[in-house]
Amino acid sequence: MDSSALVPDDEVFLRMNLAERVQHYLLIGTFFLLMATGLPLFFYEFKAFKWFFPTEQVFYIRGIIHRIAAVVLILNLIWHILSAALTARGQNNLKDMIPKFRDGKDAFELFWHNVGLTRLIYKTGVFKKFFEAHRYWLFEKPPLFGRYNFIEKFEYWAVGWGSVVMIISGFFMWNVELSLRFFPLWIHDVLVMIHGYEALLAFLAVIIWHMYNVHLNPEVFPMSKIWLNGKITGKELRLLHPLEYQRIVDERKRSLQP
Amino acid sequence: MGQGKAVILGAIFIIFSSASPLFPSQSNEDCLACHGDAELKSEAGESLFLDYEKFLASSHGRAEISCVDCHADLAKIRDYPHSSPLKPIDCSRCHEEASREFETSIHFMAPETGANPLTVSCKDCHGTHDIKGKSEYDSTIFPINLPSTCEKCHLQRVAAKKEPGFIGQYRESVHFRALKKSGLTISANCSNCHGAHDIKTVSDPLALVSRKNIIPTCGTCHVGIQRDYLDGVHGKDYVKGIKDVPVCTDCHSEHNILSPQDLNSTVYTTKVAEVCSRCHDNVTLSREYGFLTSRFKTYSQTFHGTASRYGETRVANCASCHGFHDIRPSADPKSSINSENLPATCGKCHPGASRHFAEGPVHVIPEAIAMAKYKASHLVKNIYIIVISVIISVFILFIAADLFRRMIRREKRG
Repeated sequence: MDSSALVPDDEVFLRMNLAERVQHYLLIGTFFLLMATGLPLFFYEFKAFKWFFPTEQVFYIRGIIHRIAAVVLILNLIWHILSAALTARGQNNLKDMIPKFRDGKDAFELFWHNVGLTRLIYKTGVFKKFFEAHRYWLFEKPPLFGRYNFIEKFEYWAVGWGSVVMIISGFFMWNVELSLRFFPLWIHDVLVMIHGYEALLAFLAVIIWHMYNVHLNPEVFPMSKIWLNGKITGKELRLLHPLEYQRIVDERKRSLQP
Repeated sequence: MGQGKAVILGAIFIIFSSASPLFPSQSNEDCLACHGDAELKSEAGESLFLDYEKFLASSHGRAEISCVDCHADLAKIRDYPHSSPLKPIDCSRCHEEASREFETSIHFMAPETGANPLTVSCKDCHGTHDIKGKSEYDSTIFPINLPSTCEKCHLQRVAAKKEPGFIGQYRESVHFRALKKSGLTISANCSNCHGAHDIKTVSDPLALVSRKNIIPTCGTCHVGIQRDYLDGVHGKDYVKGIKDVPVCTDCHSEHNILSPQDLNSTVYTTKVAEVCSRCHDNVTLSREYGFLTSRFKTYSQTFHGTASRYGETRVANCASCHGFHDIRPSADPKSSINSENLPATCGKCHPGASRHFAEGPVHVIPEAIAMAKYKASHLVKNIYIIVISVIISVFILFIAADLFRRMIRREKRG
């Protein structure tokens, strides 16, 4: 039986359920607030940021907002960890999120497929024999992705790692007296340094990488709406997550068999 | 009648001729015969009226000094109306000491420019017929009135060597506010700092406001602060006569001295670092006196410095840790930044500050030493810079490759 009959293009699947979407909203909100109230301190030499905090009161409120956002971020993270650990859906998602060797290979193959350098060389006739014997190196087809591709896995674990780093270093910056009761000064200095640069990394990653992949990428431009309605169509699955699509097709085939 | 009698008679004649109505010299009434007329005007239209009531209320009036005691050139006049202009009045006949002082002052000496001779005389500050002592409320030199008296010339006519409006800034100062608003006549007015009769320009080493003298001048009132200052590292160098050492006015400014709590004060908490760094970030001075620069930079890199730049007032500025008038080097056991005292100094804001607070210099270290002292955080910083550059470059490469492929696909399709 044809797979498009089993999974019609207009069938709607749930990619992010409500809880996941709310977690994402909270993450967006807290991330934005934390960046707005934190980064200007990192770029203290940049005069334009003085606009952000024109008065002492505003600067004071900045600190309060930063801490409130941090607490919300932590609670959100705890919620996410609990749901990933305790719900069946969460456990399944987490399983799909585990980085595999394949993800590295996918990234490699996608990049060289996009560049297309080896195909260009092949066309000129150089190394013809080698390429005919090893067609893999021509990267003729882009890699096929499952439920979560290497981009999404990278982002997911980057957020997780980044959050842990920011929470630990931030906690000790918040409680400098406590920090210096336990640690020598140099460790505290390192924590401050980490907090700033990790934030910068997160900011750039989100602005460049995440924004491209979910907004500016011509595939989804102007915006992938999954984060709003949580829905993905059969067609999108077939094109963007073919392995996931195939899995559903296979599942349905099996259930049709007597 | 012997010769002796003739001498006595002659003496009597001379005495009477100057004081007795029989041999009249001008009495005040004689003068008032004309000058008591409110309508009396000179040919040029100037009023020649004298308000005798006012004169009687003045210091001279009450001392029963007559018109011709000052207008000495009119004592012998017989023809009316008498000629004019009159000779300038010579106050030194009575006010000998004040005159002597005045002759050393900038007001007496010819101006350096030589454009027009300086015309400041006693009456320009003290007034004329209504002259009064400094303790009288309506005197031109009553402490609360004195600034207006000086401003008659110095606000407009006499250009300040500093920026325009420099003199008028006094009206914004805490000294003037105390004077005007709180009526504290002990607050500093012009003459407290600049002197009165013997006033001199700031460039004159003898001036009360010269760099050499400003400490005792301010110390006249701020005695305790002078004591602290002389105890501190700046004061010790000041005593040695080092000219670059900061004196009161370098940090507090001059005419517009404000309370440190005032937002516009040069020593308002968020501005302190700027004030200190004027010297402590100055390479020339640092070479000459062997201190380290880049203190402002290293302070700015700390949370204290960053927050202070954004106007946060509860973070530490230079003075919070180093003190202000009696700043001492860290080697001094009495210094607030001596390593023994640092936990207490930090503890002012960080309750329960541990000894770890005192472990290393917080800032003020040249790059080379900083690298060694802060090996760990520098390493972390460099690792992050490399990691961020690599990751972002990879992102951009992936994005570029993706866009490139899409472009080619579209071309093929089209």
